[in-house]
Amino acid sequence: MQPDSYDIKAKIGVIFQEVAVFQELTVYENIDYFCGLYIKDKNKRKQYIEDAIQLVGLEEFKKFYPKQLSGGLLRRLNIACGIAHKPELIFLDEPTVAVDPQSRNNILDGIKKLRDNGATIVYTTHYMEEVEIICDRVIILDKGKILANGTTDELKELAKIEEKVTVEVNNLEEKYIEQIKKLENVDEVTYNGNTLLITYKKGKNNLVELIDYMKEENIKYNKIYSERPTLNDVFLELTGKGLRD
Amino acid sequence: MFIHNLKYAIKTLFRDKMLIFWTFAFPIILGTFFNMAFSNIENSEKLEIIDIAIVNNEEFKNNEIYKDTFKTLSDENSEDRLFNTQYVTEEKAKELLENDEISGYLLLENETPKIIVTTSGINETILKTVTEEITQTSEIVKSISESEIKKQMAAGNYKIDYEKIYKEIIEKTQKEEAKITNISNKNLSYTMIEFYTLISMACLYGGILGMVAINQNLANMSNNGKRISVAPTSKGKVIFSSVIASYIAQIIGLSLLFIYTIFVLKVDYGTNLPLVILLGMVGSFAGLSMGLAVGTVLKANEGMKTGILISITMLGCFLSGMMGITMKYIIDKNVPIINKLNPASMITDGLYSLYYYDTLDRYFFNITSLLIFAFVMIGISIFSLRRQKFEKL
Repeated sequence: MQPDSYDIKAKIGVIFQEVAVFQELTVYENIDYFCGLYIKDKNKRKQYIEDAIQLVGLEEFKKFYPKQLSGGLLRRLNIACGIAHKPELIFLDEPTVAVDPQSRNNILDGIKKLRDNGATIVYTTHYMEEVEIICDRVIILDKGKILANGTTDELKELAKIEEKVTVEVNNLEEKYIEQIKKLENVDEVTYNGNTLLITYKKGKNNLVELIDYMKEENIKYNKIYSERPTLNDVFLELTGKGLRD
Repeated sequence: MFIHNLKYAIKTLFRDKMLIFWTFAFPIILGTFFNMAFSNIENSEKLEIIDIAIVNNEEFKNNEIYKDTFKTLSDENSEDRLFNTQYVTEEKAKELLENDEISGYLLLENETPKIIVTTSGINETILKTVTEEITQTSEIVKSISESEIKKQMAAGNYKIDYEKIYKEIIEKTQKEEAKITNISNKNLSYTMIEFYTLISMACLYGGILGMVAINQNLANMSNNGKRISVAPTSKGKVIFSSVIASYIAQIIGLSLLFIYTIFVLKVDYGTNLPLVILLGMVGSFAGLSMGLAVGTVLKANEGMKTGILISITMLGCFLSGMMGITMKYIIDKNVPIINKLNPASMITDGLYSLYYYDTLDRYFFNITSLLIFAFVMIGISIFSLRRQKFEKL
């Protein structure tokens, strides 16, 4: 694509990680300005702006200046400026960084609406739970290299662990922990004084076996539950648990 | 597209408080301070009429030069009146001096003037200096008269009209003085010199607006620039409309400065006001283009670029005489190339030329220099913009 490939550019929307809006323009004016770079027809643009404002839930803040908005609202304005022209392909670069849970929820709902309306969305994030909610296909990148590529379920298959069991138990003696480690399929056991986390390499009936063992040893526990590995587990497994810069 | 961008560029410029301060408010504030500071200096420099006495003895009565000169300098109808002179006896003059009613008195005895004072202040010094000047002029008149008489006698004319020769020479001397007075009236006041450098500074502050126009639209300069660069619009069109908006804002700022200085500070730009305004407009264009060049060439954030532009502007104004006109003379005398390249100096020099010269040659020389400077800066900006390439998808 060349800098003057205007017909292609017109179909693309980009939401940058850094908020890119004019501090001197109101919410409405910002969206109007950026939308006006794509849509020349004033009436059509007006409708598009209203749609974008509604999508990100900024109806009550049209006349507000960016400095009057909270971090979450500012992120929503940033998104509205990038998608107001109804692009077919949307790039979102970590749009939910440092926003409150309500705003994050609103942003994710908006993205799902855009997706449902037919837009193709390329979503960059470090939050794996967001990926599980909105992405059909996932690519895990590390240092510029593709480590994994597929649907959420396909990626989860790549995980070495197959089951995670969490037990809320107080003052568990060391000897029991050592015995649990020796149970079938157990990969790793960690205990922090009141929560015991056991990961299993494979198998689907590990929970029953664990409950039987605890009954046999008369170990009292408050709560016990089993989980499938998450994308977060897959991500950590593929990219390593070491801290990054 | 052009109008859409122009409309929003104007909106953002006029709502940017920092820009408004530097472009609109700062020159007006500085102008107010200049007016307060320099009008006081000028007022304090205005001389009060000095009370003196002259001993009206026979020798004074017979000395035409002294008599005429003091008469002229004490003329109540003259704007250049220097003395309030009383013609009295020596005893009365002494009495007036003792009673502090006069600063001093003149006694002409044996062709020698004597100044009698009791203290030494500005008034006494002026009386002494004026008397010395008259004595010197008297000597010159005598010498020229003698020479003229000798010349006529050598030519065989022995019927010499001494009175005529004497009067002619005195008239000549007075005309010479009048000529000198007229030239001195053309000297600009401190206030006007400062206002010229102020106009020059206001013009060059347009550079900040030019730099902002560049920064807002380039992907490597701002986040907004990134967003604009992915839009299906021509970079050139967007930048051009932003530059036009900046120039409009700059001209409005300059107009406010003119309106404020003319109607509030009562600054008199003389009959050449349209030419002063034209120079201001061309100067603003030069300032704007300097900002474009700084905006495109320097790889720094907006704050840093603003600082650099303000520094360049203030240095240029300093070298062109903002903090004292002597600096301009020193530069003109020792390193003239600096003021030839300094846009602030081109503007102030153009404004001075409207006062000092009867023709507009120097004025238009400065206008041309500013235009050349502006086009060189724009050339640098275009060259730099064309070199910027970004990753392609």
